[in-house]
Amino acid sequence: MLTRTWAMATPAETGIKVTVTNQTDAELVAACLAGEREAFDVIVERHRRHVYQLCYRFVGNHEDASDLAQDVFIRAYRGLRTFKSQASLGTWLYRIGVNVCLNRVSVKAPKPESLDPLIAASDQRVASQDETAADALLRGERAAQVRAAIGRLPKKQRATLVLRVYHDLPHDEIAKILGSSVGAVKANFFHALNNLKRLLREQP
Amino acid sequence: MTTHLRDSEFVDFAEGTLAPSRAGHLDTCARCRDEAEQVAASLRDVSSVEVPEPSPLFWDHFSARVRQQVAHEAPEPAHWWSSVGVRALVPLVAALAVLIAFVSTALLPRITRSTPAAGELASSHVTPAVSPAAADPDFLSPFDDQDAAVWAVLTAAASDMRVDEAHAAGMGAHIGAVDHEVTHLNQAELKELNRLLQSELKRSSD
Repeated sequence: MLTRTWAMATPAETGIKVTVTNQTDAELVAACLAGEREAFDVIVERHRRHVYQLCYRFVGNHEDASDLAQDVFIRAYRGLRTFKSQASLGTWLYRIGVNVCLNRVSVKAPKPESLDPLIAASDQRVASQDETAADALLRGERAAQVRAAIGRLPKKQRATLVLRVYHDLPHDEIAKILGSSVGAVKANFFHALNNLKRLLREQP
Repeated sequence: MTTHLRDSEFVDFAEGTLAPSRAGHLDTCARCRDEAEQVAASLRDVSSVEVPEPSPLFWDHFSARVRQQVAHEAPEPAHWWSSVGVRALVPLVAALAVLIAFVSTALLPRITRSTPAAGELASSHVTPAVSPAAADPDFLSPFDDQDAAVWAVLTAAASDMRVDEAHAAGMGAHIGAVDHEVTHLNQAELKELNRLLQSELKRSSD
């Protein structure tokens, strides 16, 4: 049910030296701190999609998600010395991402998704040969409804749901990121799912 | 009949991790079964939704923008507390918070009330029949020079700390932090918190 899709760019795509792209995240951080700026490019290449997706789940539109994801990497760069190499860089970026998103969400209500030329037609794509155009359209509409409903959840419930369902983080890791307990995370998740059900029922 | 499922157990059911001993309850309780099925259906709904994939061009622009933003910056230097570790700072921060709360709610009002004006000091030669300490067992003597020096150091340290520095060091209040701290206080700390709250409530109602 819960699947992680962590797409990494290839060296050919990034055009960055193979010696750098082969390094682990911890080595890249060390290289960055030693003054090799291109090492941070590789970190961005590796994690940008996941960070962007996290932000998108929070705000529900491409424009804000793009700004937030950029902010996450800039904050990460500034705080690179505070990263502990024994931790996962991905989780650390999530932590920054959640904080950035929660701060933004608290001052700015999520706006509904609009038709954005930069967004490829993934919602409108005809996924399989068995699926008709009408089916694909319905699926796209349903996806937009669910995303809008997620955008109306209280921010703590939203954070829990996004990290659990879309980023496949275990409850205890979510608890660490949110500074909460596993019990509270599960309770929030339960309420998020119940609220979603109600919100989706209310939609026309 | 076994007890109804808790919130967390409905989540376990939806994720397929509910203990078999608890799953048996669903065979006998229509209410829990209905609720569990709705939670599972909601989770299926949510799981099927993907984030629209931006154009490949977007990623190039994105990376370029980040590169441009950080081009003229260097990672900020680590603060002394990052080498100590944030966890090690938690008791210190908690102790400081309790101290500051205590001083501001208990000590300062007493000082304000008990310190006479300069004129009064000059003209008054009356010694109280009963000392404040004897009248009130909780009474703390007013600041002496040493206390004032300690207080000055504390306030100076707090005023020098920037919010973003404190946040970067993990000292910022994050979601659930207060809940977590309150539920992890020991008996003595709870008692002190209770006393401070009562005192504050009493003060606001005066």
